[in-house]
Amino acid sequence: MTRRTTGRMTRRMTRRMTRRTTRRVRAGAEATRPGVVWALPAAVFFLMFALTPLLLVAVLSFASWDGIGDLRFNGLDNWTALADDPVMLQSVWTTLLLTALGVVTQTPISILLGVWAAGKQRNRAVLSAVYFVPLLLSATAVSVVWRAVLDPNFGVPAELTWLFGDGNLLGSKAGAIGVLTFVGVWQFTPLHALIYQGGARAIPQVLYQAAAVDGAGRVRQFLHITLPQLRNTIITSVILMVVGGLTTFDTVLILTQGGPGTDTTVTSYYMYQKAFKSFDFGTGSAVALVLVVVATLISLAVVRISGYDKMRGTTEGL
Amino acid sequence: MRSRLAAMTVVTALVLGTSAACGSGDGSSDAGGGTIHVLVYGDAGNKVEKQIVDTFNKTSKVKAVLDTIPGADYQQKLQTVINTSRAPDVFFNWGGGSIQPFVKAGLLLPLDDFIAKDPGLKDNFLPSVFNSAVVDGKPYGVPMRGTQPVLLFHNKKVLADAGLTPPKTWDELLAAVQALKAKGITPISLGGGDQWPTLMWFEYLYDRIAGPGLFQKALGGDQEAWGSEDSRKALAAIRQLVDAGAFGSNFDSVKFTDGGSPALVAKGRAAFELMGSWYYSTQQDANPDFAKSGLGYTGFPSLSGGKGDAADVVGNTNNFYSVLKKSKHPEAAAAFLKLMYSDEFVKAQLSIGNLPTTTNTPDHLDLSASPAYSKDQYQMVKAAPSFQLSWDQAYPPSAMTPMHTAVQQFFNGALDADGFIKAMRALPTS
Repeated sequence: MTRRTTGRMTRRMTRRMTRRTTRRVRAGAEATRPGVVWALPAAVFFLMFALTPLLLVAVLSFASWDGIGDLRFNGLDNWTALADDPVMLQSVWTTLLLTALGVVTQTPISILLGVWAAGKQRNRAVLSAVYFVPLLLSATAVSVVWRAVLDPNFGVPAELTWLFGDGNLLGSKAGAIGVLTFVGVWQFTPLHALIYQGGARAIPQVLYQAAAVDGAGRVRQFLHITLPQLRNTIITSVILMVVGGLTTFDTVLILTQGGPGTDTTVTSYYMYQKAFKSFDFGTGSAVALVLVVVATLISLAVVRISGYDKMRGTTEGL
Repeated sequence: MRSRLAAMTVVTALVLGTSAACGSGDGSSDAGGGTIHVLVYGDAGNKVEKQIVDTFNKTSKVKAVLDTIPGADYQQKLQTVINTSRAPDVFFNWGGGSIQPFVKAGLLLPLDDFIAKDPGLKDNFLPSVFNSAVVDGKPYGVPMRGTQPVLLFHNKKVLADAGLTPPKTWDELLAAVQALKAKGITPISLGGGDQWPTLMWFEYLYDRIAGPGLFQKALGGDQEAWGSEDSRKALAAIRQLVDAGAFGSNFDSVKFTDGGSPALVAKGRAAFELMGSWYYSTQQDANPDFAKSGLGYTGFPSLSGGKGDAADVVGNTNNFYSVLKKSKHPEAAAAFLKLMYSDEFVKAQLSIGNLPTTTNTPDHLDLSASPAYSKDQYQMVKAAPSFQLSWDQAYPPSAMTPMHTAVQQFFNGALDADGFIKAMRALPTS
């Protein structure tokens, strides 16, 4: 089916459904909750581009296939090999470490920036615009730029030897992980600051006015009003960070290529290496499934722990 | 090591970026002849490939169509397309391990019949080059670009200032390292971030110490070769060089592909760099003045007591055209391949800086952009008792990542000799 016919069908469907709902409203029937059909375009899309490939990947993980020739099922071979593969386990830990570092570094900075940007200070709009510039750059461009800036011989480290020593940032494990975390902060803080800005703007002013009357200073206001009020925003932002962190790929590909050695080989990069560098699609699929399982478990845990599934309001009693 | 080619001519890949990326698979409309699709790596070299295709089409009933895949993802895209109805008839490759999976899958046509009809398809090429596209005793490729031996480049001025001459032996190299270090200059520039430049040091030291046989044995499936005494000696030599501070300490943060390591040499902050012959054009692009007057080169130093001949070279022997078994016009493909040793082909390749590996190349070397450089290289390749294809090209693609990782880790000390040997033994050989 071409894109155009899909579009036409969706449009026709939408029109038909709009007609039906309006009729119902006019008839004063039960609430106008949209029917299942409304979810169809998204569901079909999800089925075709998410669920089906996922199933195929699951099948592939029990086979040996190099992209040419015939698929050969080899039972659990890929999985037992992965279980014995030190890089696999290490890549999961590296992924988790980078994700955790991302959350820990990005959250405080973006909360402070976002809350500040929600205010009405002079110059705020101009400075905010500057802060948000990284948001406009592609991850690839960001990585290439930082690679050049951090070049040990011709970049910043060459000028600041008292700080960087020999500038071997990407050649040591700690250095490479530090660089990836730092670039992550630079790249993603604007997005999260934007989210927090929106969240902070939505906090009712009366709370601050009441607190001011009670004699609370700015710090206390921030700790006792802003932060609790931002709870749902924090959860949203952290979940975005976790998902983003677990699937980090482009910065690793360009900045470190998983090196030195395999020190920054995150799971998604390991999957890429197996499938598209070594043409071992079976093992690559197995690695991908591991990532899916790990990411799902972590997302579930975050949702459960944070109470995101209940999403209590923050304006009760106002 | 696709990135080597990419690095050579990144910019020019854009020139042909607009031409059709994949074979359209549609040749039925041509009256009489039909078409063969020729798939090549998209870069500056396409100028010549286009010219040769035009020449071919002037006389042939079956018309050749040149398809280019721009960028460094050639191998990936080839792998995707090769077993489909859109597969090309003739395609560019690196010989050795790069075509081994296709041979195993029964997709490629052995060229024995072509050669039986026209012995020139074999005899007109340097044997050391032709042989790197021989898989399981059968030839599968005809050289179609230039050879790229790895040379030890140096900055003439830096060496002169330190009172040194280009080292001919290993001991001279070690002495030069000490002298340069004393002057605060990084002796050898290395783009360790790319990993494959590091591999070149292994390729040459294994050759000089153990001779070319050790690697051939290991590649043939005898993994014990990696654990042999010669192998350990080679590793000890590498360790000695690294520990002497020959590469400085931050080589893993430097890349060749982003211009980092060549800039160190051009600016006189490092003295040597071991790199493929494309290094000359890399420097010509980035630092034309340095390339003209300051850039020197020698072969890799000899090592007394080693089993390898000091004239042995390693590197990319050449690129090759291979033919698919299911091609509908094999005789047209054969006729097309014959052009790869024509005078026109040799002249055209020389004019863009490539060094073809045909036996008639010496007749035309004066046409080269830098005749002295081309002549030296040609002599070197012709005289070499062994021309070892880069390890990561000789092994099948599945070995590349673990090999690069092991090489990098041994260099920076994360793996010791035992760890390196273990990693190399575990590489898949077929």
